[in-house]
Amino acid sequence: MPTRYLFVFAQAHVDFRIPELVSIAELNGFAIIFPDIPEERDPTRPFMILGLEEDEHARILARRCILVKSIYQFYARGSSYEEMHERNRDVRSQWSQYIPDTSFKFVIDGYNRSITQSRQREIINSFSYMAMMGKIDMNNPQIILGCFEERAFHSRRTSKDPALLQVYFGRLIEEGSARSLIRRFDVKRREYFGNTSMEAEMSLLMANQTLASPGKLIYDPFVGTGSMVYTTAHFGAQVFGSDIDGRQMRGKDKQPGIIRAATQYGVASRIMDLCTFDVTNNPWRCGELFDAIVTDPPYGVRAGAKRLGRKKERQFLQRSTCPQPNDAPYIHPTKPYELSNLASDLVVLARYMLKPGGRLVFFLPTVTDEYDQLDIDSMLCEGMTVIANSLQDFGSWGRRLVTIRKTTTAKFSVPSFDADSIETGHVPAHKGFRDKFFQGFRKDAQDTAEAES
Amino acid sequence: MVRLITHNLLACHVKNCTSNNFPLAFKDLGDTSLPAEQPDMIDDEFLQKLHHVLLEIHVEEGSMVCPNCNHVYPISNGIPNMLLAEHEIG
Ligand SMILES: C[S@@+](CC[C@H](N)C(=O)[O-])C[C@H]1O[C@@H](n2cnc3c(N)ncnc32)[C@H](O)[C@@H]1O
Ligand SMILES: [Zn+2]
Repeated sequence: MPTRYLFVFAQAHVDFRIPELVSIAELNGFAIIFPDIPEERDPTRPFMILGLEEDEHARILARRCILVKSIYQFYARGSSYEEMHERNRDVRSQWSQYIPDTSFKFVIDGYNRSITQSRQREIINSFSYMAMMGKIDMNNPQIILGCFEERAFHSRRTSKDPALLQVYFGRLIEEGSARSLIRRFDVKRREYFGNTSMEAEMSLLMANQTLASPGKLIYDPFVGTGSMVYTTAHFGAQVFGSDIDGRQMRGKDKQPGIIRAATQYGVASRIMDLCTFDVTNNPWRCGELFDAIVTDPPYGVRAGAKRLGRKKERQFLQRSTCPQPNDAPYIHPTKPYELSNLASDLVVLARYMLKPGGRLVFFLPTVTDEYDQLDIDSMLCEGMTVIANSLQDFGSWGRRLVTIRKTTTAKFSVPSFDADSIETGHVPAHKGFRDKFFQGFRKDAQDTAEAES
Repeated sequence: MVRLITHNLLACHVKNCTSNNFPLAFKDLGDTSLPAEQPDMIDDEFLQKLHHVLLEIHVEEGSMVCPNCNHVYPISNGIPNMLLAEHEIG
């Protein structure tokens, strides 16, 4: 029989909460039982009651999940204090062992409305029927009992007293400890970073989606300044990075910037190697090498997508002119790489390079108003299944962290990177993202841009 | 760094260079700790040597050369440059 646990989430990235929990449970080989009623598993709510086989599973989740604030053994809840207390009395057998001689303290917290000191004392006193005999110990109690109010969202103007939705009560199993990694991987305090670096919290969430752990081999084909290399290596994986632009990985010093930052984090020995190449003209000798591919593809806002080759219209002109002097380093001509082609190509590449069961974890920017589930579905190929799709919302645009599992053991031939030549008939909202971004996602501007191009 | 394990995963990818394009030859690398043939018995001593050769030896400066087309892939500060020139891509 699974036990019920009260999960308290950090107030961030709501759409990433459930995928993260599911990933870490899968990594550790246990299951989480989610409630059947949709409102009870609404990821935007700060509390969720989930079933686990044992306390140890709760501890594993609290130590690894970035979005878990704390996990309690669930005792009772209600839409009023009376109801919660009544139910708590009913489950007396669950907490009666702590009555005679266990030191304790209460933690009282409110979501969407803070609770005053004096009201906190009132709430604590309302539990007096539990008749806890042990001493109250604020510093080092044997158990911590938590009571949480969930109130309706409100704006300052509408109400000072938002409606009480639910009160929860339970006993602390484990305080979430993975959130402190956000500070540890803070980009500003990193030895080496650039304007494409991914923020720490996201890099950590991405690492969790890859199931990074010792013995895994993980690849970032657009590694840039290496943000996800550090977090995946932190969780024990060996990591390989490549980029078309060696300067991104290197920076200015002799020792490559990524190696310097990895040294700072104590994971330099897990950077298997870094390599300069265009992923669409890659030197991989064979496929099925990696347990996961994690990447933030270039979508043209800061670091434009490009690939080796020349723009078709200019081919003739440039080939016959500008000869390179022999002693100068060869400057590789590049042409723009349209985002929707890049995304489809990436999925095909991942299917080839991943071991069966491996995961592709990547960001896809998109226009919020135009996004359609089909945008993701149309870039999939046989044997690649979406298992998570979480939106980070910036208003008029956003980006989706997509997790895809390779569900096939079939062998595939070397990818040809020709998505631009395949006609799918569906125009995804992320197509031409760069142009839309710079036009502020205005529909009229897009129409004229399209008419002009 | 270019560890030998990486060297094992890369092949020359110049257009039409599709046979005898692996392994790329390292300039000046004289490690002989491993036997030429896989031994019958895989013991700890062998595994340790294998670990050393695959993961602990790295090449910082130099190049890797394709045994077939002689393309030279330069390595600097431990990062191999596998970019191809325009006439080399398919
Ligand atoms: C959004 S950035 C990745 C940033 C990275 N996550 C970081 O932490 O810095 C995209 C990277 O893709 C690289 N890139 C663009 N086109 C490429 C291609 N065809 N092959 C390989 N890398 C490419 C760019 O040089 C850039 O460093
Ligand atoms: Zn060759």
